[in-house]
Amino acid sequence: MPLYLSVNTIAEMICFLTALFCLAGDKSLVWKSFIGYLFLVCLTETSGIYLRVHHMRNYLVYAIFLVFECWMVSLFFYHIYKRYNHQRKLLYGWMGIFLLVYLAEMYSIHFKSFPSLTATFMSVVFVVASLYFYLLIIKDEKFRQLSTYPPFWIANGILLFYFGSTACNVFYDYLVKHENGISPTLSIRYIIFNLLNVLLYCCWSYAFICRYYQRKLSS
Amino acid sequence: MLVLRFYMQILSKEIVFLITFTTGIFLIAPIFIIVYVSYYNKRKARHFEEKEALRKNFELELLRSQFEVQEHTMETIAANLHDNIGQLLSLTSMTLSSVKAEGAQEGKITTAGELVHRAIQELRQLSKMMSGKELIRKNLGHAIAVELDWLQKGTDYEVLFTDHTSRSIPEHADKELILFRLFQEIISNIIRHAEATRITIVLDQSATVLSLLVKDNGKGFIPEEKIAANEGMGLFNISKRAKMMDGTFNIHSVTGVGTDILVSIPYI
Repeated sequence: MPLYLSVNTIAEMICFLTALFCLAGDKSLVWKSFIGYLFLVCLTETSGIYLRVHHMRNYLVYAIFLVFECWMVSLFFYHIYKRYNHQRKLLYGWMGIFLLVYLAEMYSIHFKSFPSLTATFMSVVFVVASLYFYLLIIKDEKFRQLSTYPPFWIANGILLFYFGSTACNVFYDYLVKHENGISPTLSIRYIIFNLLNVLLYCCWSYAFICRYYQRKLSS
Repeated sequence: MLVLRFYMQILSKEIVFLITFTTGIFLIAPIFIIVYVSYYNKRKARHFEEKEALRKNFELELLRSQFEVQEHTMETIAANLHDNIGQLLSLTSMTLSSVKAEGAQEGKITTAGELVHRAIQELRQLSKMMSGKELIRKNLGHAIAVELDWLQKGTDYEVLFTDHTSRSIPEHADKELILFRLFQEIISNIIRHAEATRITIVLDQSATVLSLLVKDNGKGFIPEEKIAANEGMGLFNISKRAKMMDGTFNIHSVTGVGTDILVSIPYI
């Protein structure tokens, strides 16, 4: 059982429970879908650990999860861009490109490894999307209290996670080949992703709490 | 073989250091971006506050100018009424009194003379009421009493006026004049809309505040609804003028029971 309780899984579980408590009564379907997505995150992580414990390769679980991850984050960005008159076709266009790159890479690696190039490509797009969101905030005529503005904290988490993971993504192949040689129990990739996950889920949990209080105040 | 392994270990350590260092940089950069966006947003908030303060200031200045122009116009009309029409009526009265008539005509001329005399009285009172400065010369309580006299002449309102003021501050004559105009506006609103039978006015003074309370037993209304329906311009103006004097404006109205309006201004 302790195998299933790592820094990663605990952060994910706390974030999932926060989402469940704060967003269950939310009117917005996009915000509510964070509950389902975080449940999927916990499920993927548990399945990944289970397969690893039983000496089976778990890359396929994470490879499939990548599509859901891309969809959820893209949907969220579309949701926050919508108020600035961005059109739905942008979301579908981006998802189309992503699926094309994803399938092409999966095909090229014969579905035998994690599509790291697609993940890197996705990370770059999400970093740009976060920075674009900041630009929209700066350009916006309306003032918002950013310290308690939920979309801002979701975007902060996304930027920290995807920008921070760039180095790991770039050196992904190398790290996979050599990480056992660096340290058999605690690889640098594992430490960095733990740190990034904690940052991501802290930001998201805080965003959910802010969203909860805003909903309570407005009702 | 051993050398190659040693070389590989060094390379691995360097790469690990490089990745850790790059990740650190890649984490610091977004943190700075977030801090910058937050800082910029705070400056934007300050800018909005300054803009709002300027707008409010401009509105107050505009209101003050409007008030001054209105007051000046009324002074001019009052002076014209008093000096021109008043003079003409006085001459008419003198002419009528010099006419020597007999029999039935004498009675008619006497009646005409009395009517002209009444017209002169009314005109003097009207020009006095229009000239705010003239009214306030004694004090606000006196001005309100004169206005209420005028009101009671032409209407059936039961009017109760209580004046608790103890001293008048000559430097605040302008404030008293604005408060008097607000009082006139409130009374005018009651006559036009309230369908009241009783009006109670209380003028109160504490060490630092001069307050005017006007109560009626009319049909009442919901202030929020009036303002939302853009029908509450009178209320809006009263509120703005109270703010112009750094004062407060409170309204409490119950449908079918009546309305209480309290205007308080600093008076030191």
